[in-house]
Amino acid sequence: MSIVNKFTVRRAEITVAVVLALCSIALMTKSAQNRITWSAEENMGAGFLPFYLSLGMLICTVLTIVKFILKKSPQSKDTSAFIDPEAFKFVSVTLISLIVLVFTIGYLGIYFSLIFFLAFYLRYFSEKSISFITIFSLTTPILTFLFFEWLLKIPLPQGISEPLFYPVYDFMYGKITMPIKMIFIVLTIFLPTALVLLINRFIK
Amino acid sequence: METFGLLLDGVFTSLQWFNLALLIFGCLIGLFVGAMPGLGSVNGVAILIPITFIVPPTAAIIFLAAVYYGAMYGGAISSVMLGIPGASTAVATVFDGRPLAVKGEAMTALTAAAVGSFVGGTVSVILFTLFAPPLAEVALRFNAPETFALMVMAFATFVGLGGDDIPKTIFSILIGLALSTIGLDLITGKPRLIFFNIPGFLHGINFLVLAIGIYGIGEMLWTLEETKGKVQMSKLSVNMKEVGRAFGALKKTLMAMNIGSFLGFFVGILPAAGATPASLMSYGITKQLSKNSKEFGTGVPAGVVAPECANNSASTGSMLPMLTLGIPGSPTTAILLGGMILWGLTPGPLLFTQEPEFVWGLIGSLYIANFFTLVLNIALIPAFLMVLRIPFAILAPVIFVLCVTGGYAPTQSLHDVWLMLLFGFGGYVLRKLDYPVAPAVLSIVLGPLAENALRQSLILSDGSMGIFFDFASKPIAAIIMYIAIVLLIMPAFGPLYRKIFKKTLSKA
Repeated sequence: MSIVNKFTVRRAEITVAVVLALCSIALMTKSAQNRITWSAEENMGAGFLPFYLSLGMLICTVLTIVKFILKKSPQSKDTSAFIDPEAFKFVSVTLISLIVLVFTIGYLGIYFSLIFFLAFYLRYFSEKSISFITIFSLTTPILTFLFFEWLLKIPLPQGISEPLFYPVYDFMYGKITMPIKMIFIVLTIFLPTALVLLINRFIK
Repeated sequence: METFGLLLDGVFTSLQWFNLALLIFGCLIGLFVGAMPGLGSVNGVAILIPITFIVPPTAAIIFLAAVYYGAMYGGAISSVMLGIPGASTAVATVFDGRPLAVKGEAMTALTAAAVGSFVGGTVSVILFTLFAPPLAEVALRFNAPETFALMVMAFATFVGLGGDDIPKTIFSILIGLALSTIGLDLITGKPRLIFFNIPGFLHGINFLVLAIGIYGIGEMLWTLEETKGKVQMSKLSVNMKEVGRAFGALKKTLMAMNIGSFLGFFVGILPAAGATPASLMSYGITKQLSKNSKEFGTGVPAGVVAPECANNSASTGSMLPMLTLGIPGSPTTAILLGGMILWGLTPGPLLFTQEPEFVWGLIGSLYIANFFTLVLNIALIPAFLMVLRIPFAILAPVIFVLCVTGGYAPTQSLHDVWLMLLFGFGGYVLRKLDYPVAPAVLSIVLGPLAENALRQSLILSDGSMGIFFDFASKPIAAIIMYIAIVLLIMPAFGPLYRKIFKKTLSKA
């Protein structure tokens, strides 16, 4: 029996309740760094609300634990696996790849990180061809760039790849007329598709 | 008469070419989002809200309301064709929609769903137009104590009517409120809950980080687990004869339309209820009142019309308290309300006097969106079926890209993206253990407003909580507070609502 099967809904219920109780205590401790009292003269201390809200959270988690011990909640009686092994693969790989994605965004920048994330994800979970995956993984970051940086004017993180984008910004904000810019944009969007098709033809 | 003139102005506002283009685009995206299993209006609105920052607030709300509306229509498509609800709001549509599709009458089910949605939407938007101005006028007299009491009532409805485990529901409300206190305290200027002295916490936690985390990342993890990337689609023949036959079958669904439209609207107004329970209740009541109640569940058009009418009607209904009182009636409207604050507006009755173009533009757009969504829905059924064939393994990473960029864009901080990921995973685990997540989203949006209202009230009363219960000086606040208390103790007496809700679910 694998670890995934052994981790039942029952175990998950109590584990999560205990973790949430500990988090509530941590929040109470942190809130208590500010004044948590309240009186008509002094008004409300900065820590008053967060402290009593986390106290409420703690009481709720204790009630959940009590219900668990008394077997009053459906989860406390459920001995089936919290997540089945096949689904666990989907969820865990997705989660790890997302963590790696956000981690690499800080270094490589979002656009290059997205290429690796999409290529990995599609290769791992879909049965699509290498050509499709390549086109998809390259076109999506291009569209993201055009949408955020060009249309919305919101700069996304570029990390060490930032200098590579300087010529692109020069082009975007340069004196080139709009129709020529539009032609270049359309060409850029279809560039990955054209390249992949060309390489495929060359290999054949 | 004045209302009619304002409504006409609103309709013209939404017919301006830019607003109309956004409206049609929003309807299309909504239909698409609704049709995808696992994605609903709340996911679409949460993921798309960051991209509305570049357009004026009126255009932004018209776009997002169209997404909300379209998703209510679209949810039925996957309920019928895949047997998987496109969104939780379309769960009840599966009960009779799927058997119809299995019998080879998928077109009847889809047409019934579209027409039902149209009728529900139209009735509810008329009710909305009639109720909104007088309610806003009453709400204009509200001060801080009444506002705070209303917010307490909104939270209490989750406990009284939510139908979930009580300690878990209260925990969800409290964690949302606690998260909303992170950052600088506006009164004392002191930093609160700055964990590990990370500067990212100083600007607080944007509600979008929690909303995209829970409804973007968390929902996708949930859907990936449920479907494991595989779907099974019914066959569909689309021709004019089929559509004509489907319209003919609708003659027997008038009762379902009436029940769905009116019940949906009033259930939608309640903060804890929203479109999902409205559609389930509508299905249950129509079934109980129908002469052919035994045929329900085997594939009758009335079983599709009742929930579809109700979920569209409820979606409009949930906008009523959002616009008039500043209290959202559903998780989607909670996100829309947060959006209004980001766009620089003050949600609540003042909108009717200070931003009439925004309010009436939204109301007018609901009429127009209703019509366009019906036409687009029926005309584009073959296109949506193609979309439904896209494997989840391809759709999921695209949504993750939208979540990551959407989480980063509002504050341009990677800290928020990390938090979003954490909330996504946390929301997924908590949801699996039956912790309701909607109250947390509602309370992180309402948290800062509730805190302000509470503090102002206490300054007015020299620190006495009695201000909320004093019939002599603040009768409205006291009445609302006592209603909230009744709602809080309601679960102890096994309310009728929960009985109907559970009975419907177990029978289906």
